[in-house]
Amino acid sequence: MSFIEINQNFGENTQLLAPFIAVIAIVWVFLVYYSYKKHGAKRTIVYFLPIIIATLLIESAGVAGGRYYYSGYIIYLSVVGGAVPLIIVLAWSVNLFLFMNLGKYFVSKLYQKQNYLQILFISLAAGIFGVCLDLLEDPLAHHNNWWIWGTTLKGIKFFGVPILNFIGWFVLIFFMSIATLLIERSRFSENRKVLLSISSLAITGSIIFLVHALIVKLFEFMNLA
Amino acid sequence: MEKTIVQFILENIWVFLPLGATGILATLVLFFLPRHAAPSKYKEVQPDYITIFNRRMNAYVVVYLIIWIMIILIGLLSDFLIPTIIGGIIAAVPLIILILLEYKTNKSKVS
Repeated sequence: MSFIEINQNFGENTQLLAPFIAVIAIVWVFLVYYSYKKHGAKRTIVYFLPIIIATLLIESAGVAGGRYYYSGYIIYLSVVGGAVPLIIVLAWSVNLFLFMNLGKYFVSKLYQKQNYLQILFISLAAGIFGVCLDLLEDPLAHHNNWWIWGTTLKGIKFFGVPILNFIGWFVLIFFMSIATLLIERSRFSENRKVLLSISSLAITGSIIFLVHALIVKLFEFMNLA
Repeated sequence: MEKTIVQFILENIWVFLPLGATGILATLVLFFLPRHAAPSKYKEVQPDYITIFNRRMNAYVVVYLIIWIMIILIGLLSDFLIPTIIGGIIAAVPLIILILLEYKTNKSKVS
């Protein structure tokens, strides 16, 4: 399987996929442009590129493991055996940038001190806001076949979507927000921040992996997953 | 049989381990390398506001609102009423909190 694949059957087996893609694409272009104008090119890379790389790996692993798959998109990327639509990884970068900034906006109204505790509060708020929106988006995606969950998945589900998916959303947005904010507020040069944001994915990814593994084990122990 | 992402990564640990090790090593090197550039103190950028229909609103709240409206519209067009309404109410909670908080802060600034 090559790294990039083009699907000729756009919208195959799906419903209302085009408006969904259009919303993501428009919002992504707007937010990247907005970030570029407000923070410059290097800071925009720090905000958008690491989450694109991280979710490309995670989503590709999810598809390769058979948990879910994507049908009917145009451009697919594959890094560890599973084909992931380009628009999905771009959507993840929208999620992180949007929820992290909503978290900043929310926390700045209640707690002005710029310390590690504020970073923790912002990341918590970002994760919770992300899950709130996903509780609307994911059941609809499942219903319209924008992504299709494996048929033998067990455990608690919210309108057909496994509860572990929402926990995964929280864990990913929470830890990626912490990493991004720590790098953003560090005193390194902008060039080094760009490099650190990418290399530190190994550390953030390992923490996400460990925390998620613990939660999965806990859910399996309680027969919830 | 489906595997969780954790199971998949463990089964393919020899792909992920070198990637992770390289990343951690590179981070340590970048972290401890001497700083050539003058350290720039982090400056908090104030949240940006945009004006829509003569109302000053936070740009990110507007983006969230647009996504929320569009997903609800798609949900209604998909004949997926109950989950869309329930999900729509849950997803409206951040919007309501942020708008109320903005209103309360503005009110306390005026008084």
